[in-house]
Amino acid sequence: MLSKNPIIKSIRKLFLYGFLFLLALSMLAPFLWMVLSSFMSELEMFSFPPKLLPEKLRWSNYTEALTLLPFDRFFLNTIVVTLFAAAGQLLTCSMAGYAFARLRFRGRDKIFALYLSTMMIPAIVTLIPSYLIINAFGWMDSYWAIFTPLLTSVWGIFLLRQFFLTIPRDYEDAARIDGASEWTIYWRVILPLSTPALGTLAIFAFMASWKDFLWPLIVTSRNDMRTVEVGIAMFHSLHASNWQYQMAAAVVVMLPIALIFFFTQKYFIKGITLSGLKE
Amino acid sequence: MRSIAAFLYFLLLAIFMLLASPLFAQQKITLRVANWAGADEVKLEERIAAEFMQRHPNVSVSIESIPANYKQKILTSIAAGNVADVFLLDSPIIPALLNKGVLVDLKPYLAEGGIDPEIFFPNVREIFEKGDALYAIPKDFTPIMMYYNKRMFDKNGVPYPPKDWTWDDYLRIAQQLTRDNDGDGQPDQFGAVFQNYFFLWQPWIWMAGGDVMNPAGTSALGYFNSPETERAMQFQIDLRNKYKVAPGFTGSTTGEGESAAGGTTGMFYSDRLGMISSGHWSLVNWKKYMLTGELDIGVAPLPYPKDGKKANVIYAAGWCVPKITPNREWAIKLALFLGGELAARIRSEMAIGIPAIQTVAEEQVASDPYGLEQVFLDEAPYGRQSWGTVIDEFSRIETITQQAVEQVLVGGRDIHQAFTEAAQTIDEELERAAKYSGEVTELKGNREIIGFLIFVAALAALIAAAFYLWNSRRERSPLALGYTFLAPSFIVLLVFIFTPVFFSLYLSFHQWNVVAANKPFVGLENFSQLLRDRTFWNSFKNTLIYTLHVPVGMAISLFIAMLMNRKIRGVNLLRTIFFLPSVASFVAVALVWQWMYHPEFGLLNYLLSFFGVERIGWLSDPNLALVSVMILSVWMGIGYQMVIFLAGLQSIPEELYEVALTEGASAWQRFRYITLPLLKPTTFFVLITSVIGSFQVFTLVYVMTQGGPLRATDVVVFHIYKNAWDYLKMGYASAISWVLFIVIMLITWAQFRFIGKGVEYR
Repeated sequence: MLSKNPIIKSIRKLFLYGFLFLLALSMLAPFLWMVLSSFMSELEMFSFPPKLLPEKLRWSNYTEALTLLPFDRFFLNTIVVTLFAAAGQLLTCSMAGYAFARLRFRGRDKIFALYLSTMMIPAIVTLIPSYLIINAFGWMDSYWAIFTPLLTSVWGIFLLRQFFLTIPRDYEDAARIDGASEWTIYWRVILPLSTPALGTLAIFAFMASWKDFLWPLIVTSRNDMRTVEVGIAMFHSLHASNWQYQMAAAVVVMLPIALIFFFTQKYFIKGITLSGLKE
Repeated sequence: MRSIAAFLYFLLLAIFMLLASPLFAQQKITLRVANWAGADEVKLEERIAAEFMQRHPNVSVSIESIPANYKQKILTSIAAGNVADVFLLDSPIIPALLNKGVLVDLKPYLAEGGIDPEIFFPNVREIFEKGDALYAIPKDFTPIMMYYNKRMFDKNGVPYPPKDWTWDDYLRIAQQLTRDNDGDGQPDQFGAVFQNYFFLWQPWIWMAGGDVMNPAGTSALGYFNSPETERAMQFQIDLRNKYKVAPGFTGSTTGEGESAAGGTTGMFYSDRLGMISSGHWSLVNWKKYMLTGELDIGVAPLPYPKDGKKANVIYAAGWCVPKITPNREWAIKLALFLGGELAARIRSEMAIGIPAIQTVAEEQVASDPYGLEQVFLDEAPYGRQSWGTVIDEFSRIETITQQAVEQVLVGGRDIHQAFTEAAQTIDEELERAAKYSGEVTELKGNREIIGFLIFVAALAALIAAAFYLWNSRRERSPLALGYTFLAPSFIVLLVFIFTPVFFSLYLSFHQWNVVAANKPFVGLENFSQLLRDRTFWNSFKNTLIYTLHVPVGMAISLFIAMLMNRKIRGVNLLRTIFFLPSVASFVAVALVWQWMYHPEFGLLNYLLSFFGVERIGWLSDPNLALVSVMILSVWMGIGYQMVIFLAGLQSIPEELYEVALTEGASAWQRFRYITLPLLKPTTFFVLITSVIGSFQVFTLVYVMTQGGPLRATDVVVFHIYKNAWDYLKMGYASAISWVLFIVIMLITWAQFRFIGKGVEYR
């Protein structure tokens, strides 16, 4: 029972915020160290016992890391690829999710099981065949090569299906009485009601292809086709790990997704409330 | 509506089919050179390439640097037939390629390129020779040396190691350098270190008169478990376990990379470690710090036992030309140029290795102000080819032997027992490999496979299309409608999932090495081998245990999601913070957490010390390592799960809570009777996907522990990876994948059946 006493209320609040602060700190501590160490020299980073604060802020780590390799190009490549992947997934996953959740047809659940089963295949197993296929298409060193396998995601289909299942049938029934086609119901009724789920899918699709490492590494060879995550690894060589550059680049690469999440979360987390849509 | 979808379907299909035929013919000669150069080294290689292009204006050369997974990348591209025209060959891939008839014999072209084979160090050249053939032009090489931290020697008044020193000297010096500075009864400054890497400890065995294999390389029994071998390994293990002059481990003895913050490199840098053995490559970076005065480093040959002999190992890299290159003539010219004197001279500006050309190596010595290069060069004549460049099955042998050492080092097992078992395992492996290694024939690329794949994809697409057309004849048929909506995702899955999966099923019945010409059908042998493979069952058990972190993580995530669902100030920022772990790159996360988990300086042990908790070996204790990985997984998974839970929580009508409040329901009751039931579809989704994900855990193990210590964190997909990419047993790896696949399927089915009830179609 909530107390009406303002003092008890503010004490509760204090505890809540204190708890949240500690919790957030535990999540943040490794990143603080990551950011701090991105300003250190390599020797400082490896000093023993480890240092927390850099002697001085070496911004040169950032400027050197970003100019030593063509990171502007890496960013451009990554953005192109992630946009295609995210757009592709929004379309293909929502269509499939709609079919699995709202349509009734023979073999639907069997196909869904088949779809779902593909999530259980470890990616390393499909690596060589996928590579051979991409190569047979003549797509090596192209954007196509990087994003086509990401054009759909069974995870995303599953996510949207689960979400579509929660939307009451009343809405589409009303539309159907008005003579709307399935396409119209999908496009005009279901999708607008699903912005939180679509937003969630978009951010995860974006993130997955942003962070993808092994696949872009394997299907690209030319320097100007690399993505940011591969770029970070390129500082590493046999004779030197260049951790100071790797850390600086990792911070820069992480920042855009963190910012996108920060600024767009209200669209997909708040999105719409489904209150009032009782069955 | 249908026409749009149909159009989309056929458009995609058309694109795939059209591009399946190679349309692009090359106009001008472009040569691709692949190596593993870092950013600075690439500049150097590009200068060399420019020299070549200046001499041959009709050719353009592009340098492709492969920063990670070099072996994987080279092997896949060989399989696909689009490998670089010239690429760098080094120890890990020499055995995979040298005996497979994949490379061009360059010996007949040496004279044409103006190269006399005698200019190379003979023992370096030998590495790339098989019989009369020479499969690569040697680039550079290194023996393994002992680096020492001069500053630390001076501080402790210990004389530098002499050029000619014995194991007794080594131990004595290490003892003099080992100190307990803070007086806690534990040394915090060490003289020596033992790193459990085959490539580092191999020469010590030779010095003691032992060996890993018999001279023919066909058996390990009687060699790896010989008294000489065991003595050499026992001496190195004793440095830590008996004499306590070497630091303990912060993680797995074989997985602890150079990356480990507070690891051996860090100790060496900050005067807490006196001697460390490594190759020439370490010198490049250290010289930089010697120039600025931040480090002062000397180098000595490896010590040898009094009654033994001097011995060392040679690791080398060389330029090779694959037979499948379309520009063989020019590729050979380029390889000869890259291995020639001019190129070697340009490279010696940076001096990553010792030039394989003797005169250039001497020039490099002459230009070294520290006199370190001379010590390396003096050691060169003692260098012997590593087993790693001789035996096909080497990667497997490397793992087996390192794990045997780990059993003694950490597990306290008797050395003879452990090494005998390892030798037996090696012999079994060799026997199995010999059974299928037929005559070496020329590799023709993998056209059949590509054809097979395209055939399967096209066939499936045709069936799907026919099915669609048949259905679409009936107006508004629900079946046609359903398939239309599924079509776009189906096409992508067909090409990139179903076809590869069929292919892997095919592989699981074969002994399938990417680059080998012989890929015999072996029936169910891979599966029967799997049943007997104790390491597989161990990884299976670990995976099951690992999966237990899912419910714990979900409870925490749900709790956080409910907190983050409130209207409190700064909630947007908080949500972002919790989401950060999902965003960060794995490599950075791994480095940070290796520091968090560091037994001596890690944040976790520091915090726990306030509660009087003793030092915990998070990643080095075999009983704890898996738990530590699980903790990290929970931490990394919170962002993902929180976001999904938040989306689910948003869909619960607020009125329900309002009604419950007016009726006096407690917080727990509201959670139990409103939140939990209404959130069930979301919870179910998170559960299913997280369980599937946790069965496939790989990257985390790969970057944090490499499956160690003592296989405590070896999980199934890591096991698959090792078999597929390290041991090149693609068929066996596919068999494991299929077993894993079936297990996950059963578990998922059970979840749908027993937990998912009442979730579907509410």
